[in-house]
This record gives sequence, C-alpha cells and structure tokens, in this order.
Amino acid sequence: MDEYVVEMRHITKRFPGIVANDDVSISIRKGEVYALLGENGAGKSTLMSMLFGMYEPDKGEIIVNGKPVVFHSSNDAAACNIGMVHQHFKLVDNYTIAENIVLGMEPVKKKFGFLPWVDMREVNKEIQELSQKYHLEVNPTDKIEDVPVSVRQRVEILKMLYRKAEIMIFDEPTAVLTPQEIEYLLEIIDGLRKDGKTVILITHKIEEIKKIADRCAILLRGKLVDILDVKTASVQEMANMMVGREVDFNPYKSPANFGKTILEVDHLTVKNENNFEVVKDVSFSIREGEIFAIAGVSGNGQTEIADAVAGMMKAASGTITLDGKDVTGASIRERAEAGISYIPEDRQGTGVVMDFTLQDNLALREYHKEPFSKKGILSFDKFRSYADELIEKYDIRSGQGRETIVRSMSGGNQQKAIVGREIEEHTPLIIFVQPTRGLDIGAIEMIHKQILKERDRGAAILLISLELDEIMDLADTIGVIYNGQLLQTAPADTMTSHDVGRYMMGVKDA
Amino acid sequence: MKKKRHTLAHLLDGRHASVWVSVLAVLLTLLTAGVMLLLMGKNPLIAFRSFLQGCGMLPKANYGGGSGMLSDLSDFLNYMAPMLLASLAFIVGFKAGLFNIGIAGQMLISGFTATVFIGYSKLSALPARILVVVIGILVGGLTGALVGFLKYQFNIHEVVSTIMLNYIISYLTGFFINNHYVDMMTRTSRICSANARLTLTNVMIAGVKCKLPIGILIAVIMAFVVKFIFDKTVFGFELKAVGQNRKCAKYTGVHVGNRIILSMAFSGVLAGLAGVTYYLGYTNTIIPKTLVGMGYDSISVALLGNSSPIGSIFASIIVSIFQQGANYMSSMVNVAKEIASLITGILLLYASCGTYMKMRAHMVIQRDIDREEEEKK
Repeated sequence: MDEYVVEMRHITKRFPGIVANDDVSISIRKGEVYALLGENGAGKSTLMSMLFGMYEPDKGEIIVNGKPVVFHSSNDAAACNIGMVHQHFKLVDNYTIAENIVLGMEPVKKKFGFLPWVDMREVNKEIQELSQKYHLEVNPTDKIEDVPVSVRQRVEILKMLYRKAEIMIFDEPTAVLTPQEIEYLLEIIDGLRKDGKTVILITHKIEEIKKIADRCAILLRGKLVDILDVKTASVQEMANMMVGREVDFNPYKSPANFGKTILEVDHLTVKNENNFEVVKDVSFSIREGEIFAIAGVSGNGQTEIADAVAGMMKAASGTITLDGKDVTGASIRERAEAGISYIPEDRQGTGVVMDFTLQDNLALREYHKEPFSKKGILSFDKFRSYADELIEKYDIRSGQGRETIVRSMSGGNQQKAIVGREIEEHTPLIIFVQPTRGLDIGAIEMIHKQILKERDRGAAILLISLELDEIMDLADTIGVIYNGQLLQTAPADTMTSHDVGRYMMGVKDA
Repeated sequence: MKKKRHTLAHLLDGRHASVWVSVLAVLLTLLTAGVMLLLMGKNPLIAFRSFLQGCGMLPKANYGGGSGMLSDLSDFLNYMAPMLLASLAFIVGFKAGLFNIGIAGQMLISGFTATVFIGYSKLSALPARILVVVIGILVGGLTGALVGFLKYQFNIHEVVSTIMLNYIISYLTGFFINNHYVDMMTRTSRICSANARLTLTNVMIAGVKCKLPIGILIAVIMAFVVKFIFDKTVFGFELKAVGQNRKCAKYTGVHVGNRIILSMAFSGVLAGLAGVTYYLGYTNTIIPKTLVGMGYDSISVALLGNSSPIGSIFASIIVSIFQQGANYMSSMVNVAKEIASLITGILLLYASCGTYMKMRAHMVIQRDIDREEEEKK
C-alpha cells in the first residue's frame, strides 16, 4: 500500500443544488504524472481543492504518505509538501518575482541582533539558482505586472518548489498558454517527474494527457468513470468516456452559399487608451453565409477589431458599414439593434453579470424591448419563459435552473448561456471571439455546430480565435493578423495551417 | 437544545434567510449590550425597557404636563423619518455600485438651502412645505449628480469626492450661518418658521401634545418607490447591472455614464429629503460646521436591512429606538447616552457577519442530511 503517496477514498462533496464529487476514490503513485480528465463542472478542481485543503470533504478520507490527514486550510496541505498552481494565478502584481515567491515564508534575519529584515539580495540569488536548476528561467527582480502570463506561471511553479512541494497540483495549466509555451511547460513537467516529484494534472485536453501523463482518471458529473493507463488508451476512447457518449470530432460543414455583403470594414484604425494604434488600416468584408476568421497570435489587435465593430471601442479612422448602413459613429445599442450579436472574449468580465440569475443574464439582450418590458416596467413572466426556452435549447446546465446565480455555474455553461443569448437574436452579423477557449469537448462540439448552423441560415460570421484548428475547421475565408495589420486574406481552402502559421509569425510571403 | 439549534439553522438556510440573519443580529446585539450593562452594574432589562419607554413604545412611570406616550412616539417617528430616507439614499447608490458616504453633506446643503429660502420667508403653510420638499429634492439631487458627473467625466472616486464635498458643504454653510443667520443666544442658525417645518407641532391627540411628522409618510412611500424601481423597472435593472458589472452593462448597450449620474442624483434626492425632514422637521435649526451622525448611521441601517428598502424600514426602527431612546435610558439607569452609538456599532458588526452565519447554517443542515443517509444505509 505504501507505494501510493496520495490516496483519496470515497470522497463526497456537495454544494447547494449539486454533488460536485460523488464517492470518488483515486490513488496516486510517487513520481508519476497523474491526470484528471473531465468536462467543465465534472468535479476535477473540487477534488483537488480538497487535497489542497481549500475545502473539507463531506465524506471520505484523504491519506498522504500512508497517514490519514484532515486539512483545515491550504497551510495544512503545504505542511504535507503539497503545492498547487491555480488556474487563476495568486500573485501580487506590484511585487517582484522573488518577493512573490518568498511571501509568507521570508528568510528573516535580525539586524543589530533585534531588527527583523529580509536580505532581498540573497533571496534574489537563491531564486535565481532555483530557477536555473529547474530550467524555469525568470528574472527575480522583475515585477509581476511587467511579465507575460507564461512567466507568471513559472513563478507559481517556483513558489511550490521553494516551499519544497513533493506533490504538485496543476489546475488547467495550459488554458492560458500559446502552443509553444504549452510544449515548454510539458517539458518542465517531465523534468519534475524525473526529479522524483509527483504531478497531478487537471485538464480537459486529451492531447496533453497523451503526451505527458502516466495514468488518467476520468470524471463525469462528479462520478469517477474509469482510471486508464494512458499508453494503452485511445484518444477516442478517453473522449467518449469524458463526455459520456460518442464524440464527433469533425463537424459536417455544408458547401458555402454566399449572399450579399453584410459587414464592410474599410481602412479601420483603432487606438488603445495609451493612444497606440492597435489596429492599423484594416479592410475586409463578410457576406451572408460566410465565416470570416481572423487568425493570429494573441495580442495582435484581433479583439480590438471585434470591439470596434461592436462599438465597445471607437474607430480612430475608417468606416464600418453594416448591411449598407454606416454604423461607424453609432452607439453599442444602435449597432445591436441594427443587427450585431457579440460573444466577447472575456465572458465573465464582459459577457455576464456574475451575481445576476441565469434568467436575468439570458434577458440582457431583450429586457428593454417588448414583450420583456412595457413602458419601462419589466415583465418577469416573459423573462422566465424565455430563460426556460434557452436553457432547454442550448443545454445550459446549472444547479437551480433559471434561478441559479451565474457565478456558481461552470465556465462552459456560462459560455453556453452567452452563446445561446446572442445566437437567439438571429442577427445578420455575429461576432465570436474565442468562443471555445477553455471549454471541454462536449461544449466545443455544441458551439461549433451552432456557429455552422447560423452560417447556413445566412448569417455573416466574424470568428476570432487563437486556436488554429478551430479556424481551419470552420472558416470560409481566413484573414491573418500580425501587429495590427491584416497580412493576408484568402479563401480557407487555398491555405494550409502551415501557411496560416507562417503569416501569424509575421512572414509576409509564405 | 439540539433540536432548537437545528431550527435556527433551518431558518438561516431557508427562503427568508436574510430576514432571520438580521433578527439574529439584533438578538445577539441585545445579548452583548446586556452583558456590558451587567458588567457596569446596571440592570439590562430596565435599560432596554427605558429605551422603549423613551420612544413611546411602553408607558413611562410619569409624564410632564400635556405630554404622554403618544408625544414620545411622535418624537420617535420624527427621528426615524430622516433616518429611513438617508438609508434609502445609501441603498440606491449601493445597488448601482456607488458608495455614497456624502449623505450627511447632502442632507446639510439641502436643509440649509430650504431653511434660508423658505424657512426664513413669510410664505403660508401649504406652499412653504411644498417648496421645502421641492428644494430638498432639487438641491440633494444636484449635489448627487455632481458627484456622479465627477466620477463619469474625471474618474474621481465617489468616496473621495463625497468626503471632500462633506467638508466643503459643512464649512461653506457654517460660514453663511455664522455671518448672516446666526442666533446670538444659541450660536446655531435662527429657527425656521413653523409654516415651513415638515413637522406639525403642538397637535393635540388624545389630550397630549404631539409633533406630527409629514416626513415619515414621505419616507415610507419612498421605501416602496425604491423597491418598485429596483424590482420592476428597466431603469432599476440597468442600475443593478451597472452596479455589479459596468463592463457588461456597457456591452449590453446601457449608457453607463448616464446611469452613474442618474443613480447618484437619485441617491442625492433621497439624502436631500432626509435633510429637509431633519433640519426642517426633527429640529428647526442648524448647528454650524457640524455634520449629523445620522448620515453615517444610515449606512449601518442599510446594511442591517440587507440593502433592501423594506428591510431598512425595520432596521431604521431598531436603530432609531437606540438613538432616540438613549436620553431617557440615560436618565433612568445613569449610563452615558453615547452607549446608543456603541450599540449601533455592535449591531453593524453582527449584521455584517450575515454571510458567515448563513454558511454555518448550511453546513449544519448538510451534516444532518449526510447522517440521515448514513443511517438509512
């Protein structure tokens, strides 16, 4: 038995209206990479939060290094050499990397024998050595707010190493990374394994599990489905178990049938708050029944194009024409009424009001119009029936139906709610920004089907995505953006993903 | 005992949890205050009874000539009216995500303007009173709108601008009162005319003199108006959306700046009404360079009432009992009347533990359910 470093036996955890973990038992060997696979809301993060002491299980026991433990806080877990990198990093933005790493357990010295102080120079040196040892290069004196996401993640890993963690939990570590950064992270995890650490990887990306993990536990709606040996299991098999049914990887795309031009963007330039041109002289048009995808590395101006078309940002110059009407100076609501739906990139920050009920969030596009309100008075009967209709139609799952507070829903279901709300408007133009980022296979499949359905209805679709596969699967026309400029625009069937990838790196003539 | 604990847990986890949390907060406050009074060697029961007696809710042992329980009750309502209005002012801002701590200043500027223009005029009762209310609405609303405008146009946080405005208003009105409107005897502003006052004095009811507050009617009506706006109207829905997620509100097409200004103006209107019912109702004079503590107590009232307009009716009754009954309590048990503010503070402390109480209750119930399931097996 003592070959297992962590055993979780018959764990049950409930939240209001939902059983997050139902009698789950897993055992993890020392020095292995153990993956937890499941859709959003399957209970992976909850299970690991209990191992890390953030929640206490309602039932069941946790055994670490052969001894039963009860964690009341993550400090207790840290004392057992357990560390966790959360999906949303827990760092102090205006502290340096080294300060963040030692925060909470600073090596305190006494000056003149009584004045406590921290020798930051020594700390910086120590962090430097630590980072070199594990190939996690960071500059200890950089401030967190000045470094990119991938470096912040390294800091989180260093934090665990500094605290001598032997069991490391990674919660969806690749959701925020670019493909190259993911490769690098997987190498680091491999290095940690060789160093004898035990790694628990929470993810819904099967390719990563295939690449790095030794064993994999699959959760579905809080229940343990199976524990597989990754080497012998097939991708299709894992996907089916995770979703609980047959998964169709390649959605059927009917032949294109373009109509008149719906959106015409002409010489558009957009400046950000610092008066910096983030979009430079961009022109393109989208026809009825066409999916126009903008491919590009994150931060090259693609989200600003979407914001400018939807009216969230002002155009510094250029015009935006919707269905023959100039909407460049129109307000957000005027544009929405003229026929734009928008699925924004930041779903929790922009797409929903987290503390509103699902019902209120689903009515956000309609509440100011009849029959949702008459003469400024809201009609909740309509709110309720509309919410029930959308919940059914778009398979939005939640603890308490339309009365659920959106904050308590899983990310995938929040996104389904936004997509449902926006698609249900059936506008001539629909903008999707990163529609499936961080979602599980089931939700991605459903959203892709919805996008194609709207295209076949005759909507013009602007799709902005960082996932090249998604763009290659869905787009009719691809525009590649680099540094605020559209480098190349061409029908999708004339470009390979290799071509698009080269343009994304700024190479002009591929 | 065990059975009872679980009843409590069920109350705190049920549909009316927020009501029960407030009730529990009041009970815990009475318990704490009771222990304090015991330690001071006083009888807490007598003290609590005298709070209620001071507010005309229980009969006193004896009354002065021409006064009675009803006179005390009318005094209490006079105090409660501005308290309720001020807490509504806070709630309106709070729901739209704005922390209006300038209520005291907004009360003062509207009370001052109404006193100077109407209170010192020779207008007859009906037009004078209508104009006092109109001035309260206008001046309070404009002051609030200014704060909203500063936030929208220059991104000045409302907490900063309202604190600054509190000082500006306090010293500016103080300057005018001291130079033009001061009563040399009392060193406060000259009293306003009885015609302009929103409290009818010397009304004989059942043989005792009462002060009838018009303000309490305005206040209770406004509580329902605020409830209606936030529960049922497009405007209230938008204010709540702006309050909880400004970016999402903008994304759905709400003109956020406009809503910020309007919600601060609305908050200011209620504060202005509180001001005129306080300075031309509860009292009839203004102490120069002094902001009333009610402006801040109203925040406790709003939180005790769970930021709900109807809840704050009950909350303002409770806080007003302590504040208004303190004088009589002080004379009866010989404890400094400042204990009223201490009790209000303790109340706020317990009220803000509400979420924790609800969470504990939920855990207790969940454990019960688990145990039952286990037993079934």
